[in-house]
Amino acid sequence: MDRPRAVLAAVALGAALALPFAGGPFWTGLVTQMYIFGLLALSVDLLLGQAGLFSLTHASFFAVSAYTVAILQVRYGVPTMLAAPAGILAGTLLALVFGLAVRTRGVYFILITIAFGYVVWGVAHRWSSFTGGDNGVTNVPFPALGGFAITSHTQYYYVVLAAVILCGLGYRLLIRSPFGLGLRGIKASETRMQSLGYRTSLHLYAAFALSGALASFAGVLYVYYNKFVNPVAASFPVSVEAALMAIVGGTGTIVGPFIGAGVVLGLRNWVSSFVEMHHAIMGVVFIATVLWAPQGLVGLAGRLRARFSGKDHG
Amino acid sequence: MAEKAIEADNVAKLFGGLAAVNGVSLAVAAGERRVLIGPNGAGKTTLFHCITGTLRPTSGRVALFGRDVTHDPEHRRTALGMGRTFQITNVFPELTLLENLALAIVGTDRRKWVMHRPVEAFGEVRRQALAGLEAVGLAGRADWLVKLVSYGERRQLELALALNTHPKVLFLDEPCAGLSPSERQRISKMIAALPRDITLVMIEHDMDVALGLADRVTVLHQGQVILEGTPDEVRANPEVREVYFGHG
Repeated sequence: MDRPRAVLAAVALGAALALPFAGGPFWTGLVTQMYIFGLLALSVDLLLGQAGLFSLTHASFFAVSAYTVAILQVRYGVPTMLAAPAGILAGTLLALVFGLAVRTRGVYFILITIAFGYVVWGVAHRWSSFTGGDNGVTNVPFPALGGFAITSHTQYYYVVLAAVILCGLGYRLLIRSPFGLGLRGIKASETRMQSLGYRTSLHLYAAFALSGALASFAGVLYVYYNKFVNPVAASFPVSVEAALMAIVGGTGTIVGPFIGAGVVLGLRNWVSSFVEMHHAIMGVVFIATVLWAPQGLVGLAGRLRARFSGKDHG
Repeated sequence: MAEKAIEADNVAKLFGGLAAVNGVSLAVAAGERRVLIGPNGAGKTTLFHCITGTLRPTSGRVALFGRDVTHDPEHRRTALGMGRTFQITNVFPELTLLENLALAIVGTDRRKWVMHRPVEAFGEVRRQALAGLEAVGLAGRADWLVKLVSYGERRQLELALALNTHPKVLFLDEPCAGLSPSERQRISKMIAALPRDITLVMIEHDMDVALGLADRVTVLHQGQVILEGTPDEVRANPEVREVYFGHG
């Protein structure tokens, strides 16, 4: 990491640590959501930004994991130490099934993932004896690991912050590994990768499973924050929004999805306080991004920096 | 007779009603340098695709060192020792040349599945990649993004990618396509200097390059083999002169 970036990272970390004291409960809550949905967007971007696959089913893993945790904790009194891994496991198993979509490419892949997403939403919505129907599962407690129990949103904020940092570091290692390089190779030219000896569908399947596991982890963080889960978590707009966050922030980067999550959630909060049409605003944001900042805000920042320093990059 | 590196037996590929390759049989001995020539649309590239696994032949059989690979997917054939280049440059523009080579180097072994160590931590891969770039005259470009280097350099990279899967049989699909005469000469020299234990199968339009490199030449026309022989035999053959060079 070069020096300006190290300084930037240190400042960001300092600000993140100080936020609950400086910002109060409103900002603490909003930023917690930004971390959680940023993580979901990051999981989408493992496929989109690295491997070139546009998934619109990531709400499924997110929600299945959240439901699993909620049902185990609330109905069966299973402790966090077991419920949380069970949630990740359930979401990941589903990803291993839905991952078979990697046999298709392009628009077919997108359509199949949309269909998968609707199946999960339909089950959450209609199988009310198990999922609680529209009301979902409520009264999820804060997590407690062994003797250490979380008792406030401020404490939970730090748990999520630590989780996000660990995930970010792990993700960074993953995308810089030979496996991650392979994904970028597939995104650029699948035919060449095959002729270099890669079984590209298997590579993409593995990426899909990892991506589903990360989305599931975001689902665990979500349900402990939100205290309940209902079919909205599994709905199509959540999948779309996760992709939107990655694109607005900047695909193929690690901070991009989090910045995108901040923009989307911040705008929604702000806009919905005076108009009832935040979805329309989101549409406009998306169009503007695609037209004027296709590399997202991170890419835009890079371009502006290059312009001001008089360097033009490729 | 020497061991057969490649045997294609009655290979045909139909696109709808069009037989791009129409019953081609071909045997290339281990260590041989074979050049395929033929006018545009003769089916050379389609035949290549069928042999390397990019396309499945409609009928016929393909064997690599006596092993039937007709039903093996392309990545498997690469693992068994086939390597290829593409007529239309097929490299990774957003990656550095070093990363391009790294993909080729780990592609045929288990290291491609490593998820917990950065690529840079593999010193051996880096050494091999630098050596691979140097071998095609790209040593100074290791850390450049491919999209920033010239077309000629990308053709050199194209060759380096194929060589670094360590093929026993190397398929070169018009390695000099689109190059200037001096660049052409450079690439031909590199190809001529390849170790003789690599069997070469090459498509080439430039007759001087083709006949200079080849041990034997196969002439394709309208999806079929019309002649196979030494460069001298091909040069002297009136039928080849007619389909390849036209009348007069």
